[in-house]
Amino acid sequence: MMMFMQLAQGMIVTVEIFLLTLLFSLPLGLLVAFGRMSKIKPLQWLVKIYMAIMRGTPLMLQLIVVYFAPYYVFGVSISGGYRFVAVIIAFSINYAAYFAEIFRAGIESIPIGQYDAAKVLGYTRVSTFMHIIFPQVIKRIIPPVTNETITLVKDTSLAFVIAVAEMFTIAKQISAKQASVTALMVAGLFYFVFNYVVAYIMERIEKKLSYYR
Amino acid sequence: MANECPLLQLKNISKVFPGNNKVLEDISLTVNKGEVVSVIGPSGSGKSTLLRCATMLTDITGGEIIYGGKCAVKADKGKITYASKTEMKEICKTFGLVFQNFNLFPHYSVLKNVSEPLIVNCKVPKAEAEKKAREILARLGLENREYAYPCELSGGQQQRVSIARALALEPDVLFFDEPTSALDPELTVEVLKVIKQLAAEKMTMIIVTHEMEFAKEVSDRIVFIEHGVIVEDGTPDELFATNNERIREFIGKLGGKK
Repeated sequence: MMMFMQLAQGMIVTVEIFLLTLLFSLPLGLLVAFGRMSKIKPLQWLVKIYMAIMRGTPLMLQLIVVYFAPYYVFGVSISGGYRFVAVIIAFSINYAAYFAEIFRAGIESIPIGQYDAAKVLGYTRVSTFMHIIFPQVIKRIIPPVTNETITLVKDTSLAFVIAVAEMFTIAKQISAKQASVTALMVAGLFYFVFNYVVAYIMERIEKKLSYYR
Repeated sequence: MANECPLLQLKNISKVFPGNNKVLEDISLTVNKGEVVSVIGPSGSGKSTLLRCATMLTDITGGEIIYGGKCAVKADKGKITYASKTEMKEICKTFGLVFQNFNLFPHYSVLKNVSEPLIVNCKVPKAEAEKKAREILARLGLENREYAYPCELSGGQQQRVSIARALALEPDVLFFDEPTSALDPELTVEVLKVIKQLAAEKMTMIIVTHEMEFAKEVSDRIVFIEHGVIVEDGTPDELFATNNERIREFIGKLGGKK
């Protein structure tokens, strides 16, 4: 029983990491996508370098770097509360890089005629994006976003590397103490159910948007 | 005086795409209120580019575009100057464009396609915009399709919705870029009927088309373009009786009777 209580505590942290990462990385990803598509060359390069690093190095390493950077780079001492913040920062900037490419693919897949029509009808650039382009982009990017979201659920377990007590960290501790894999199996079941729910919700959204082609 | 001003004046328009690809050369065209002008010519002659330039979807590289006496854009030796932002907004309200492939907004219902630009861009209250949209849709024979989505409509219906969408903003002049090229003959008839109806209502229109019989019937003037220049500009009778070999050949090929 004790085990479940402890795992439940970890579950809450896992769900928190998941939700906060989505909350920050999706809008950030859209901004990065704009930077990537920008006509300003230096900005474009900067974004490309950022994406190359985020996608080209292990997320686990990024977690460590974000966690220790304040101490090694700026000489600021790290408080325990920063662990969780570091996880959110590292996950958000990492996932933003992936989401950015998904957004970019979605935006670039909208026919140019939609922009022409909007312009002739008097839409400004901003209102064209808000009213005409973005709603269509959302519909198109749901499947790849679902993929990333599911990966994120599982990636939350990487937070153990800087000793954030999310579920997987706790499951491993319990499992080591009891010399049994039960806790790990329970954790695995939780990830599976969590992802099942995520996939179900995304499928519902996709269905809801299927009223047009 | 204001009434005598031509609705649209194109003065010596030229368009050179990168790589010194001259698409339009020294095109001048004046369209008065109530006139229907058809633009014909072989593929690649610059007809669509002309419409895109006139509606400012494409930058011109030379010449001047004047709407109702107000200069919208002027270009000289690659330097392009547009009217001020507020002036531009007014000018853009004076014309509408109907595309070859409709370009309806797929995520909006028919009603919303027609009413939403009014609500978003002209700040018309929703109820009023929808009432207006319904009236126009009814006029174009679409009264039962208000809640359908573009993907549920036939091509002819889609094109009529896009005409309704353009009309809702009450433009002074309406451009058509090969409005029936994406349609089969039966649906073509249905769209041409609507355009004829508008012509009867004295709507000013500039129509790029390959439908010779239709152009002859509906137009006050026909402009023949080839290789980016206006070869002839005259009444349908004049054009169909022209001595220009090239035009005779072109009209003959497309099955237009003399």
